[in-house]
Amino acid sequence: MQSVIGAEQLTFLGQLRDYLDALDPALLEATRAENIADPMQPREHGRRFLRQLARDGWLGVSWPTEYGGQGRSEIEHWLFAEELYNRRLPNGLLTLNVIGPTLMLMGSPEQKAQYLPRIIKGDLVFAIGYSEPDAGSDLASLRTRAVRDGDDYVVNGQKVWTTGASVATHCWLAARTGTQEDRHRGVSLFIVPMDAPGIEVTPIVTQGGERTTAVFFDDVRIPASQRIAAENDGWSAIVCALNFERLFYHNEPRWELEQLAQWAEAEGLLSGDGAEAHALQERMGELAVDVEICRLFALRGASLLAKGAVPVAEASANKVWWGELRQRICNSGLDLIGEAGTLAHGSPYAPAHGHLEHGLQSSPVWRFGGGTNEIQLDLIARHRLGMPR
Amino acid sequence: MSGLSYTDEERELAATARSFLTSFVDNGYLNVQSESERGYEAGCWQRVCELGWTGVHLPGRVGGSDGSLVDAALICREMGRAAFASPLLQTLRAGTVLTTLRSDKQHDDLLAAMVQGTPAVLLSPPDRTLVGELADGALRLRGGACLVEWYAASESVVLLVPGSDGAWWCAVVPRPMLDRYATDVASIDNERVSRLELDGLTVPGDVVRAASVSSRSARYALARADLLRASAMVGGAQEVVERTARYALERHQFGQPIGGFQAVRHHLARMVIAADGAELLCDDALHRAEPDLDEHAIAAAALFAAGRSYTEVVLTAAQIFGGVGTTVEHVLHHHFRRAKAMQLRSGRRANRLRELHQSLVVERAARPSSLW
Repeated sequence: MQSVIGAEQLTFLGQLRDYLDALDPALLEATRAENIADPMQPREHGRRFLRQLARDGWLGVSWPTEYGGQGRSEIEHWLFAEELYNRRLPNGLLTLNVIGPTLMLMGSPEQKAQYLPRIIKGDLVFAIGYSEPDAGSDLASLRTRAVRDGDDYVVNGQKVWTTGASVATHCWLAARTGTQEDRHRGVSLFIVPMDAPGIEVTPIVTQGGERTTAVFFDDVRIPASQRIAAENDGWSAIVCALNFERLFYHNEPRWELEQLAQWAEAEGLLSGDGAEAHALQERMGELAVDVEICRLFALRGASLLAKGAVPVAEASANKVWWGELRQRICNSGLDLIGEAGTLAHGSPYAPAHGHLEHGLQSSPVWRFGGGTNEIQLDLIARHRLGMPR
Repeated sequence: MSGLSYTDEERELAATARSFLTSFVDNGYLNVQSESERGYEAGCWQRVCELGWTGVHLPGRVGGSDGSLVDAALICREMGRAAFASPLLQTLRAGTVLTTLRSDKQHDDLLAAMVQGTPAVLLSPPDRTLVGELADGALRLRGGACLVEWYAASESVVLLVPGSDGAWWCAVVPRPMLDRYATDVASIDNERVSRLELDGLTVPGDVVRAASVSSRSARYALARADLLRASAMVGGAQEVVERTARYALERHQFGQPIGGFQAVRHHLARMVIAADGAELLCDDALHRAEPDLDEHAIAAAALFAAGRSYTEVVLTAAQIFGGVGTTVEHVLHHHFRRAKAMQLRSGRRANRLRELHQSLVVERAARPSSLW
């Protein structure tokens, strides 16, 4: 068999580990805490951390050197993401992993020059503006309108679940430029600076403490130069970006299983010999197998990208497995913990530092974010097996 | 999408194996063999040997092809796809254990016989219910009855059992020596099985040439042998997913293919995820099953996932096929039975999972070759 991870990749991983180990511990600790509390919004420390990585040349591992990247393969990028997620540190989120690669494929030369250098410096944060109150899974029914007016478009409408919009510098906005009946063939994609006049952001606080937002657009003017791809051809950029997004899920399940293992060790159950210990070991054994499968689903996506292929069903499988596994670890981990699992995170007595309780509350979005798992299963059946709609 | 990391030679070997097996194996053939006295066809076995499959992973000095465990695993995968039953898997497992444990030439005669087509079996109960101890140079066995596939067809039994002091015993016993303790029994699938009651049996030292091996070596050798079964289960799962998808396009109800119904599509997508996960883990383990890497943990994970996925896939397939899948006129019945039987041949689920917990969770930090 040919080696997917060869000596060169392992050397890279070793260098990355050495680099991360040598960073300021205070910065790492603050970034980790911020990332665990709310991973989708790099705030004060997360942005400091990403800028530090950028300065030291560690952002954009698989980006071509012409855009300031390291020019390595998708395999190294996968190693990078797995290592950072294993430490619960941010790796550039959707901005670096989804918007950047999509711009490289679909942006104009001017757009690439305008955004890619700033993304790879860690200066920009994008929020994704797809969902609307009446357009969730049926995204092609979105109603936010962009009307051409001279060299500009004028945008009116409302987005919701626009996670990160309160800290973002830009919005990756899907808006209708055709008729409602045109469905996905009447959608265009724009980059909108969040400080443009007419944008109002309303926070929405979720049960897990993560913040998302509703974003209102009231006669917001966007230069036509900020449209990605042709007018009414935004759907292709959305599909491209969603496939990157579904490969963006990584090693958090391993980290959560490790939290459970640390709790079990303190309770004497990790290697114990009683009935309770055996029940725990059996459960954790299966979860550990599923964590290894999670690693390989992500690696498969990276291998396909490295070969120049576009993973579709493979990206969907990665996302379904990751989200369901993460939720399963948190849920069954709490079952093993029992009544003490009711203690909220933040309490000094919370088992596993409250990470499993917090995870369970955060978990619904893992199964519907980035496209519901039901949509993913349909994509797998259609793209892999040729099933009709 | 499969086999991202195979070489061209490995792909060609798999393609040859598939084309050979699909040229004559169908449900009718499997049913006839299943009802026959021997359980497999002598002429077919001869062709299997001529293709070099019994020695594909054995050294050239005994007539083997000097191939790797991956080569043997790919042949097993195609056998699993075809639901083809024969002493081949057992012979490959026995050869794998011997060549993994013994680099000397002590068993070259036996290995050469395997290449020529003399079946051998591996006897190593998955839940370690048989143990051995050396007394006056002889190996004395203790424990409950064990099941051995294709025992009756074999000429040699490769015994690998734990001893009382942490070490393991590896011995080659001529099959006729054990016959008085063996009974042929019916298996739920199309493989042939015997039940051996070996408690109290003493095998003389001059016969068994028993060798003590470390627990670590024994586990590694078994892990490699088990990857062959895992690969067969992966092949079976892949075949069932593909057959079920074809059926979902052919079978019409309410004026459309049943694959047009979302409930059916979601069943199919879950089957894809299950089969893919097992395949990825099996291939990852095969990739890491290099000598001295001691990656028994990931191999055990692959074995578990393959059994779980194959069983999950056949249960869902049976739901999509409905009545037609339950008849002996459809090949699904062979996969249905083989999936559970092959999964159970890995022993008790709870025991395997606790071992996986130990190796993947508890000992992880101590494994230098682990990425995370």
